[in-house]
Amino acid sequence: MAPESVVARVFGLPRASVSDATSNTTVIAWDSLNHVTLVLELEAAYGVSFSADETLIMTDVGAIKRVLRTHGVVWDGA
Amino acid sequence: MTEPPALDELTARVAEAVRHSGPEAPALLALTLLDPAAAAGWLLDRGANGPAAASPAQLTRVVASLAEAGAGSPGLLSRDQILKLLTHYGHLLSEEHARDLATGVGGGEHDPGLDEALRAALERAPAAPGLLRPAAEMAIATGDEARAHDLLTRLARSDPRLATVQFVYAQRRRLAATADPAVRIALLSSFTIDPLVPYLDLECRSLRLEPEVYLAPFNTWEREMLGQGSALKCFEPHVAFLSVAADDLLPGLAGPTSAGQVEAAGVEAVERLLAAAATFASWSSALLVVHGLHTAFRDPLGPVAGRDGPGRGEVMARLNARLAEGLRTLPRAYLLDLPDVLARRRHGTIDNPKMRHLARMRLSEHVLEDVARACVHFIAPLAGRTRKCVVLDLDNTLWGGIVGEDGPHGIRLGDTSPGSEYREFQRYLLSLTQRGILLAVNSKNNEADALEVIRSHEAMALREESFSAMRINWENKPSNMLSLADELSLGLDAFVFVDDSDKERALMRQALPQVLTPEMPRDPALYRETLERLPELQALTVTDEDRSRTRQYVERRRREMLRVSTQSVEEYLGSLGIVAEMARVSDRTLARVHQLFQRTNQFNLTGRRYELGALAVRADEVDWRIYTTQVSDRFGDHGLVATALVHVTPESWVIENLVMSCRVIGYGVENALLARLGADAREARARWLVGEFIATPKNAPARDFYQRNAFVRDPEDGDPERWRRDLARDAPTSPPWIAVKSANGT
Repeated sequence: MAPESVVARVFGLPRASVSDATSNTTVIAWDSLNHVTLVLELEAAYGVSFSADETLIMTDVGAIKRVLRTHGVVWDGA
Repeated sequence: MTEPPALDELTARVAEAVRHSGPEAPALLALTLLDPAAAAGWLLDRGANGPAAASPAQLTRVVASLAEAGAGSPGLLSRDQILKLLTHYGHLLSEEHARDLATGVGGGEHDPGLDEALRAALERAPAAPGLLRPAAEMAIATGDEARAHDLLTRLARSDPRLATVQFVYAQRRRLAATADPAVRIALLSSFTIDPLVPYLDLECRSLRLEPEVYLAPFNTWEREMLGQGSALKCFEPHVAFLSVAADDLLPGLAGPTSAGQVEAAGVEAVERLLAAAATFASWSSALLVVHGLHTAFRDPLGPVAGRDGPGRGEVMARLNARLAEGLRTLPRAYLLDLPDVLARRRHGTIDNPKMRHLARMRLSEHVLEDVARACVHFIAPLAGRTRKCVVLDLDNTLWGGIVGEDGPHGIRLGDTSPGSEYREFQRYLLSLTQRGILLAVNSKNNEADALEVIRSHEAMALREESFSAMRINWENKPSNMLSLADELSLGLDAFVFVDDSDKERALMRQALPQVLTPEMPRDPALYRETLERLPELQALTVTDEDRSRTRQYVERRRREMLRVSTQSVEEYLGSLGIVAEMARVSDRTLARVHQLFQRTNQFNLTGRRYELGALAVRADEVDWRIYTTQVSDRFGDHGLVATALVHVTPESWVIENLVMSCRVIGYGVENALLARLGADAREARARWLVGEFIATPKNAPARDFYQRNAFVRDPEDGDPERWRRDLARDAPTSPPWIAVKSANGT
């Protein structure tokens, strides 16, 4: 599953509307609590564990992808 | 060596193979990978049947490949093809594929074609999250709110992960409030308890309640509970949950603190909780539920903990016992045994250290569903959402096998498996009768076969006297249910129907939706747990009446037999030797009075419900009186079965409400109670006895009560109707067959 799909799922967005620029400033529902939910979902989807520093910078889809790549995660279309 | 064929040629060959051999699934799968559009064309032209020789697993792979290709390159599949794929194969799609396809159709928010496709797919896969999500969004967009709520609830139930339940909660906020009764829930906590709210919302809505949740600002619980000017006070909760973590109260738990130090600090912390609880109880009539204490940290002494003195585990248990003891002295205060709920969680860990640090969450996302369910076990009885009778199938429900085929000795029931599962379930059901839940049988069987097992199988935990009524015959089960409702004088919404058969459950749900028919697991080892988790079978009080209710119904059956053998109704009633004992409410009877007002539907003159706290206040006020009536006859004790709340003024006594349990309808007990009110009012020199009546969907049996007792309706009343009777000459009389006694100095 692509990170865009996870983000779309957590915030209830159409998949096609999610891009690298989608961030906690463009999505109203992306507040601090839903950020926690997103982190939990990403960890469950890819079987990884993020550090506290990583969770702090993962505030847009582009950053999420960069962090995932450092964990060696591969997804379709990556 | 020959060259491998070029891709184009290979594709052509495979396409040819599919065209000729048709239903050969491997060829179709190959074509799907080589030329998805051609494969889709072939498959979808064949409608819902697909390649006959394909196994479900092969077909699922084909459909997944198509969905993948369709979602990956927009335009590859036509809109018509996507809709067909959803309609015929939507039930085989993964969540992600179904959602991507549905959102990629591009028909805008309201798309009748997509709606139809989703409905068709959901018929075959009613719990598929990937279909439920777009279907719910469409229902919201088209304003079909009832369907939206239903789909959202199903979505959250089929995928109870935090992200989905939060999504469901967010979507519901776009809908208008339902017509279901509101319940106001306050959450007070020392940590981030926000993620519990979507789960609580889900549980309440499953009970047809409209929840309104007040989340106190982070760690303000102590200030809020003091009351004065607090937002909590303005909110006027029906129920407040106080969830303070031991690790917040006792920061020493994270460090090297000894068990002795923990205990000393813990005793102080418990006092703090109890003081806040007592203050809260003094100004609020809400139910207060305090979460028990647990810690995320192990005893640092490891194996040696508890060897030289009490370890932390012991100390925590003692602190919780102390908390429970303190709460017992407060009105309307309960302990939620959180350590027990967490120990019995269904999956995952209790504590998620990352979330503890990142978000100050002290309950991991895995346990939120269990904790919410434990909370709603308090809300269901508070909101009157409880059921009174569990109606049970026999074969493969109370025992394994079919008695008509396997014989009374061939069924599986005993102390070893298979069979011990059923015995354990029966034992649980027996324990339900101890707190007032009735049991009944609704089974398709030869009565003689089934009764032989019930009467003489040595491993039966339930016997004939455990059941208040039985229908063992070849009638359809909904008709039997109606006749059980009639015999037990209960409304259909008082029943839970337990049957292992999908078909019988579906039939009951369709024919009698008022009956609660829970999904039962296939494995009988899980029967017990399934019923244990039902909020509708929980209670907040257990009265003496509850403990003896089953016996009372069995006695009633014997009375019925006498009625059949005597001639006139008066003669029959006279032969019963009915004694009615009237009293004013006392501390001992208040809980039962509250329960009667809360649970009585048929003989209920106004349908008004009262909170326990409100009744306690009324009981002490001079211008209010609460009467109780205890009834017995020669077959046994009916218990406290009637009560009246009366507003006393010098001129008139106004009956705010009078309710009587349906167990004694037809005995004239309500007239005896009315006669007593009239007599007391006359003695107090009141001129009028006034009664109010509000019609409800269920109180037809009480409709003519005042009229029959020579009350006259006030000409310009509205709702409620007001009826009055002049006491200047005489008062209502008590039926001659009832011997009336007085208790506690009235």
